[in-house]
Amino acid sequence: MRPTAGIPATAALLVVVLLAGGCAAPPASAPGTPTGAPAVAGQSATPAGTPSASGPFNGTDIAWLQLTVAMHERVLPLLELVPERTAQPDVRRLAAQVRDTSRTELDRSRRLLDRSGAPKTNPHEGHDMPGMVTAAELTALGAAPDAEFRRLFGRHLRAHLEQSVRVASAEQRSGADPDTTTLAGTIARTGNAYLAELTELQP
Amino acid sequence: MERAAPFSTLRRRLRIVTLLGALLALLGGYTVIERAAPAEARIVRVAEFLADCPYSHRLPDDPIIFPGLPGASHMHSFFGATTTNAYTNLSDLLNSNTTCNPRVDVSSYWVPTFYADNVPVEPAIVTFYYLGEGVRSDIVANTQPLPLGLRIVAGNARATAPDSTTNSRWSCLHAGHVGASKDFVNCPSGTMIESYLDFPQCWNGRDLDSPDHKSHMAYPVNQACPSSHPVAVPKLRQVLRYPVSGNPARFRLASGAGFTMHGDFFNAWPEAEMMRRVRDCIRPVIKCGADGRPS
Repeated sequence: MRPTAGIPATAALLVVVLLAGGCAAPPASAPGTPTGAPAVAGQSATPAGTPSASGPFNGTDIAWLQLTVAMHERVLPLLELVPERTAQPDVRRLAAQVRDTSRTELDRSRRLLDRSGAPKTNPHEGHDMPGMVTAAELTALGAAPDAEFRRLFGRHLRAHLEQSVRVASAEQRSGADPDTTTLAGTIARTGNAYLAELTELQP
Repeated sequence: MERAAPFSTLRRRLRIVTLLGALLALLGGYTVIERAAPAEARIVRVAEFLADCPYSHRLPDDPIIFPGLPGASHMHSFFGATTTNAYTNLSDLLNSNTTCNPRVDVSSYWVPTFYADNVPVEPAIVTFYYLGEGVRSDIVANTQPLPLGLRIVAGNARATAPDSTTNSRWSCLHAGHVGASKDFVNCPSGTMIESYLDFPQCWNGRDLDSPDHKSHMAYPVNQACPSSHPVAVPKLRQVLRYPVSGNPARFRLASGAGFTMHGDFFNAWPEAEMMRRVRDCIRPVIKCGADGRPS
């Protein structure tokens, strides 16, 4: 019998169990909710002067909405370049479809972000963000001849769609607000459909 | 001389202090600084403790700005807790290993990855100082511990130009004559480019984070914490030394130019360890080492 060694070990185990239990406590929470929730909803009141975001939005919802707004705002100028840079009808048609879808999704994201009460600051301004075309790349596209333009356009659109699907899937898993996770589901689905079309067009 | 002092004026002052100290040591056999009593002869009157936390890992994740969204961020370099990713919460940190000395610091610290010629470069020396400075001495004497789970973001990742709000600085280790700048500097061969960043040290006393991840914290105004953020906590100073020098045109951060340097901190110091250091080092103005004892 070694009570002196046994007690601290039991105590340590108890601490670990309590910690783990505390983390997993709210049965309703999806994976990732404990990470996101404290940012806006949990633990304590939001600071004075900040619009309340005590609704169903968690940190993942807000981060994803801000990111989606930023990504869609960035891809639209790319899509709008297409009619003046290429005569290829299939590329023009795909770009027009993605443009219309992106405008709708941008509008829905902005309205949800409004409802969340979160700041509308773009946390991504000027960043080298995955899936986002840079200002320099846009300038290069604006001067590229048709074939070169189509090659670069395909690459940038693919990067955008792949990143959109990646973060939308994460939002579906870790978000809390039902309208926001529904929008994420839509964006993941349309993104995958457009990726398939793009692959057919530019294997 | 390796203390947390970013600016050349402070450096000069430090050099003088060191010289004086050396003189006094020669004369009296003591290293007496300011009005330390003989019994405290070896105590240095600087309110400070620290953690040395070498590089751990890189991920395009940010559990504060993009919680639950892996791959949503520019590339970050993580220090301290070895498991941090997009999903990390406080209990993950408390159960994590750490790169820090002291080992009790399982906090997570991260910055945009530094690139030289588009190749990632990680800092060779990574020190997080916790300081009682920037506010009046009566406020330092009443410093409160950083609350467990507090998240702080410092610097402006979205800066498009260096301006009055840029609070990160670049300088050269062992080449003080180059001076400090808001953007990358050209360091002499054989020295290291270094980044200093001070975090806000006034807390609103309520929130461990806020929707914009900034507004629960504030910088002092006129050596005091503003009434909106009345709780003075230790000032975190992040010091990173990158083993590169020379033409800064080769350098960039994952967030852009040098003035976009920023730091994120997720506090997971055990409360008793944080409290002891605030009580023994910060409030009485005593320079402590990583172990939280006078150094």
